[in-house]
Amino acid sequence: MSTSVKTRLTWLFALVGIVAVITLGVLFPFDRNYYFIALAVITLSMLPFLAAFEGRKPEAREIVTIAVLTALAVAGRAAFFMLPQFKPGMAIVILAGVGLGRESGFVVGVLHGFISNFIFGQGPWTPWQMFSYALCGFLAGVFFSRSAERHSGFSSPLQKTLLIIYGALATFVIYGLLVDSASVLIWSSEFTWSAARAIYLSGIPFNAVHAFATAVFLTLLSTLIVERLTRLKTRYGLFQPH
Amino acid sequence: MRDADAFSSLHPAVLFGYFVLIVGVNVVFMHPLVLGISFLGALAYAAYLVRWAGLRKLLPGLLIMMVIAALFNPIFNHRGVTMLFYWNDNPITLEAIIYGGVAALMIGSVLLWFVSYNKVMTSDKFLCVFGHVVPALSLIFAMVLRFVPRYFAQAKRIAAAQRGIGRDVASGSWYARARHGSAVLSIMLTWALENAVDTSDSMLARGYGLPGRTAYTDFKVRERDFMAALALGGSGLVVVVAIVAGVLHAEYFPAYAVGDWSVAAWLALGAWMLICAAPLLLGLREEAVWRSLRSNL
Amino acid sequence: MALAQVESLTFSYANTTQDVLHDVNLSVEAGQFVLLIGQSGCGKTTLLRHLKSALTPYGTRSGVVRFDGRALADVPLAEQARRVGFVLQNPDNQIVTDKVWHELAFGLESLGVPTPVIRRRVAEMASFFGIGEWYHRDVDTLSGGQKQLLNLAAVMTMQPDLLVLDEPTAQLDPIAAVDFLAATKRINDELGTTVLVTEHRLETAFPLSDRVVVMSAGRVVADATPHTVGAVLARHADPMVTALPAAARLALALDGVDNSSAPVSIREGRTYLRQKLAENPDSASVTSVPDLRYERGLGSHAGTSTDKTSVSTGIITANDVWFRYERNGDDVLRGVDLEIRAGEFACVVGGNGSGKTTTLGVLSGLHKPYRGKVRILGLDPVKAKGMELFRAGLSVVPQDPQTLFMRNTIGDDLDDAASRQYTDRDERREAVERAAATAEITSLLSRHPYDVSGGEQQRAALAMALLTNPKLLLLDEPTKGMDAFFKASLAEVLQKLVDSGMTILMVSHDVEFAAAYTSRCLLFFDGGVVAEGTPREFFAGNSFYTTAANRLGRGLVPGAVTVTDLVDYYRALSAESV
Repeated sequence: MSTSVKTRLTWLFALVGIVAVITLGVLFPFDRNYYFIALAVITLSMLPFLAAFEGRKPEAREIVTIAVLTALAVAGRAAFFMLPQFKPGMAIVILAGVGLGRESGFVVGVLHGFISNFIFGQGPWTPWQMFSYALCGFLAGVFFSRSAERHSGFSSPLQKTLLIIYGALATFVIYGLLVDSASVLIWSSEFTWSAARAIYLSGIPFNAVHAFATAVFLTLLSTLIVERLTRLKTRYGLFQPH
Repeated sequence: MRDADAFSSLHPAVLFGYFVLIVGVNVVFMHPLVLGISFLGALAYAAYLVRWAGLRKLLPGLLIMMVIAALFNPIFNHRGVTMLFYWNDNPITLEAIIYGGVAALMIGSVLLWFVSYNKVMTSDKFLCVFGHVVPALSLIFAMVLRFVPRYFAQAKRIAAAQRGIGRDVASGSWYARARHGSAVLSIMLTWALENAVDTSDSMLARGYGLPGRTAYTDFKVRERDFMAALALGGSGLVVVVAIVAGVLHAEYFPAYAVGDWSVAAWLALGAWMLICAAPLLLGLREEAVWRSLRSNL
Repeated sequence: MALAQVESLTFSYANTTQDVLHDVNLSVEAGQFVLLIGQSGCGKTTLLRHLKSALTPYGTRSGVVRFDGRALADVPLAEQARRVGFVLQNPDNQIVTDKVWHELAFGLESLGVPTPVIRRRVAEMASFFGIGEWYHRDVDTLSGGQKQLLNLAAVMTMQPDLLVLDEPTAQLDPIAAVDFLAATKRINDELGTTVLVTEHRLETAFPLSDRVVVMSAGRVVADATPHTVGAVLARHADPMVTALPAAARLALALDGVDNSSAPVSIREGRTYLRQKLAENPDSASVTSVPDLRYERGLGSHAGTSTDKTSVSTGIITANDVWFRYERNGDDVLRGVDLEIRAGEFACVVGGNGSGKTTTLGVLSGLHKPYRGKVRILGLDPVKAKGMELFRAGLSVVPQDPQTLFMRNTIGDDLDDAASRQYTDRDERREAVERAAATAEITSLLSRHPYDVSGGEQQRAALAMALLTNPKLLLLDEPTKGMDAFFKASLAEVLQKLVDSGMTILMVSHDVEFAAAYTSRCLLFFDGGVVAEGTPREFFAGNSFYTTAANRLGRGLVPGAVTVTDLVDYYRALSAESV
């Protein structure tokens, strides 16, 4: 079976799975069905991306580069342990998306969320963190990777400013909202707006620091990382067939 | 490297299956007795693994989480028929309070099982389970584990080298420190990405990318793994069937009710108790064997 | 039939016109141990990489590479992966996974070998190399030597026919290097694996080899046995002659190019020297040494610099300094006493774990000793605030120059380093140019720091340190991985700095370098200084931890430290007896 067929089948499987889980959950409600549905949906939606990555058998240089960026993000989370929420991880995930494309952004995001919890402890929050990082990295690739490619770096300050704004917003809105929603579902039996509001409000300071950190690290690192990745691509033929 | 205890020395696939089963039931099925048993089992096993010293560090956080869970539900959930009082113009019900207590047990036991999970399911075991399923991602995972400690050591060297030419991260104005800190970060990133070329050469030289790659694991499947899988899987099946068939049953809204106490229900609870206590029992049994061996010496 | 054969290979990298390899012919017979030598940048690495399609560099090439009788392009990649093993220079970069056992299995996984077979092969190799004890360890906990041995074992699990090693010991300390080369020799002897290795440690590698191939500027200039290659080189007046093992150089000096079996090991060299001296009737009765005190290079600077500054007190003094990294750890420094005077070029030598590098850390204030007193540039590094020590004129060149680079060109990195001292842009440019000229890297300023060789990186690091206008320069293992020529030119650069009034203290494993170029040596052992003196006093007094020439002449030529000493002694004797 060719890889593209496999990938399409995975998409189909995930889509059918998501619909089935939601239908079953609504038709046959049980305790904590919201939590279960949400968990199943984000897990299933990560599958096709990861299957596509596996399916095309990435080559050594790509694997190493993704591992390096993930390791930097994980090490960064550990290195800034004394500053809660002030971590370079999200910035690196976003820059992976910008420098290597949306799929790599997604993969680095998933792996960062997952592996850093081997140091900080796995828990019911892990899948949500994985998915949130991945989504931010993926969207960064969608919005910015083309222009980074064309200019071999950020030649225009406007692009860089836009990226920093995107990074802060994505961290605050996408990551913050998703992970806080997970908390709502973990804490309470069902998703009530009053409960959600309480959690979202209490999450604002944390998410704001996290967004600020992402903006700071993007300011510091965006030119550097994109330049380095471009150099590797041209000099060592990274991601180019022999 | 030594395993944490007797249970940890089971095959990683068995261990992973165990944690999926136990956390799955915990998260989805809100039954006070089931969760109570699970909580006690998790607490005892975590205490056995990390000892009192380790547990003492965990308990405050755990208790806070549990208290929040216990309060969260009555405050935001106003369903239930037995209204007790009004708080901030909101009705507080007995059912919601009971539900909050059970939710606290759920949160507590899940967190405690994850304490054991982090201790038992080390990264190499995780890789053993998923090496076949997602080979590329598993390899990246192993590489990240290799890189992280290396990066820490290198970051230290970089900071020392920077200090040697007069750029200290630990002294000077706030601005100078931040600038030197970001220099360390930049040097680190450059170094990591440039040296990665060597790593990929080393992979290519050893044939990475050829079709038909296998995933080697150092873990062997032994007879006791089959036995354990059979025992735990069998008990798990009894519990899951009991839940799905409604033999074990609990509802909170509108009124609190826990299902009938049939023989089948007690049987399922027994199976669940066996599951929750299994890791600790295995560990204690092996320790007893050691003690008797030593006294015979 | 040759196992590997390179036929008139010419190659230039993409986007360049200069040939890196020019009409290279080389054939490696099965079972041989072939040593490939040549100055840095002569094309050795590029040549080696042509022996495996997966590593072959991008560029334009002509000529053929054959493996086992077939053009390499026709040999399937899986067969190449299995039959041609590669070990590269940097032990750390080559390791892919986090566990020793996983690393050993990596190649076999790629080849699609089933688990039971992998288990057996890994067990065999682990037993062969004696790494069973660290089989379950994290890679992270291994020493550099162990890591490189792991890389070797990880290649050997695939049971290659040809083992290619590209400067495998460049990053290792001397003892680990000897162990590693001995392991490759054992593979060659006991398994019959063909070995092709490039090395700068010729003293160790020559005696192991069946054949020595010499490259210069992209061409093969000599291809002979270790015993005859010296003569071939000497006939062409090739500069590699100066890099040959001490025994071979001695034989060349005494016999000229006619010796068809020059000694290469110390053992052979001593036999040879004994014979030479025996031919000389008076040698048996020699007790007094002819005047060796017209030393060439060696120690001569010591005289001048100490004279010049004999009144000045120590620029560095340490009294009874004790240090440990952790409260409950072992002492690393156990009562260090040392004094370095202004204008000296001093070198601390000693084995791994003797406390050399830690001492540099204590002197520069990185580590705080818990007992004893240190004065450096008139300051106490423990009490010195912030960067006071560095403003007073201290600068440290790190062991790994890659801990300094972050820009796209070496010039930009130097500019950064100068930004504290020079705020004016023109002044800064001038200072950068000056430092680059001193460190002899002017031609590299527009290059990317990671595109230049290790030796060049080391010099760029030196230039960065110079831009802080130091009075006192501390260097940690500056000759690591350098060939003989780079060392000689680095020595020149350092000597110029000393002549201009700078004081230099370096820490090194490199006994030959210390003997040839410094003005004073201190031997560290067990966390303290156990011996010191001018290189001549120092190495003449040591019997084993000393230069190759001293070991050659031990008991035969008293006090000889360099090959020149041996030659001069012999000539003086001959002159006397005539």
